[in-house]
Amino acid sequence: MNKKIPLAILLAATATAALAGPIEEQIRFRQSAYSFAAWNIQKIKAQVVDHPETYNKDSVAAAANAIAAVANSGLGALYGEGTDQGIGWKQTRLKPEFFQKKDEVTKVANTFNEAANELAKVAATGDVNLIKTQFGKVGESCKSCHDLIRIKE
Amino acid sequence: MKVTIHIWDLPHRLFHWLLAVSVVAAYITASIGGELIDWHGRLGIFILGLLVFRIIWGFIGSTHSRFSTFFPTFSRISAYLKGQWQGIGHNPLGALSVLALLAAVAVQVGTGLFANDDIAFEGPLFDLIDKDVSDKLTGLHSTTFYILLGFVVLHLIAIVFYRFVKKTNLVKPMLTGKKEVPRALAEAVAPDHSTIGFGAVRFILSLIISSTVVWGVSGGITKLYPVQHQQQASNESTSTDVAPQAPSSF
Repeated sequence: MNKKIPLAILLAATATAALAGPIEEQIRFRQSAYSFAAWNIQKIKAQVVDHPETYNKDSVAAAANAIAAVANSGLGALYGEGTDQGIGWKQTRLKPEFFQKKDEVTKVANTFNEAANELAKVAATGDVNLIKTQFGKVGESCKSCHDLIRIKE
Repeated sequence: MKVTIHIWDLPHRLFHWLLAVSVVAAYITASIGGELIDWHGRLGIFILGLLVFRIIWGFIGSTHSRFSTFFPTFSRISAYLKGQWQGIGHNPLGALSVLALLAAVAVQVGTGLFANDDIAFEGPLFDLIDKDVSDKLTGLHSTTFYILLGFVVLHLIAIVFYRFVKKTNLVKPMLTGKKEVPRALAEAVAPDHSTIGFGAVRFILSLIISSTVVWGVSGGITKLYPVQHQQQASNESTSTDVAPQAPSSF
């Protein structure tokens, strides 16, 4: 028996594990993604909803692009098996039922994508009223995912 | 022989119906979310004002609004259980449900003041605590909703029960403020007609106090005494008048 075959298998397994990411890493990365999105959401809210006199077209457009980038970054890869338990930056709040609800999750994830991409498009036009409306839709898409798969504390 | 009693004064009735409408609207705005979450917040603060008003009115309103008239003390409850309670306003069971509803709404509003939705909404007093505490209070806010819902359903069932089984219309007095009671009962409850009527000065005083609370919670206090944040986020490239946020949301 060639001694290198078990070694090759071991290396392959380690490499696959590193690609999938240990569970805590997936949780940490997705928590970071949503935190980064939240910063940009708050920037838009401040300039478009709360204090429209401070509206800066480039700032809001950059924030909308950042949110769309998060939505388009393939976050699904960070929801691997077993990631309903573990601590990233903090204990994950993913519901275990997530893994049985893949179809619904895909639908809700797509609404986030579509809403975020639309917001980025609208932010480029500089029409504050349109931005405000679409911003509300993005918020609704965030909420629909939370309602579906996130445990309330 | 029946007499007409003025039982619920106008502020009391206004409070009741405004509260009912506001709670329903608060539920709807919370369910839809998105742009409407800010309205949910405003309704919450309005409900806080209503609650504060009701509590003050429970001390200085007209007779049947006062807690002292209907508060379910042990003696009143045991008399009621023995079938010996008599009165015009809430019986002790009704009184208990009033207090339960007020308490549930109070917890909802109290937790909501500090809540956040991890998206774009923070309660008006969010700056006084950190995100972890806010998340826990938000969780409470979600759970207590079901308790409030239960009490509201019981309340509605009781109204229907009184209407169709006990043949007593409770909605009409809450609309018109007047109730017909047997003269003998009216005499027994207030033999020297010693009921306290509506007082304009007391009403204005209650309004001032509840408005002050609403003002304070909506930012009046933090305008006078600005809260210092532990960490200041840098605002170099996005120099707007946005208040610095501690970077902590997940």
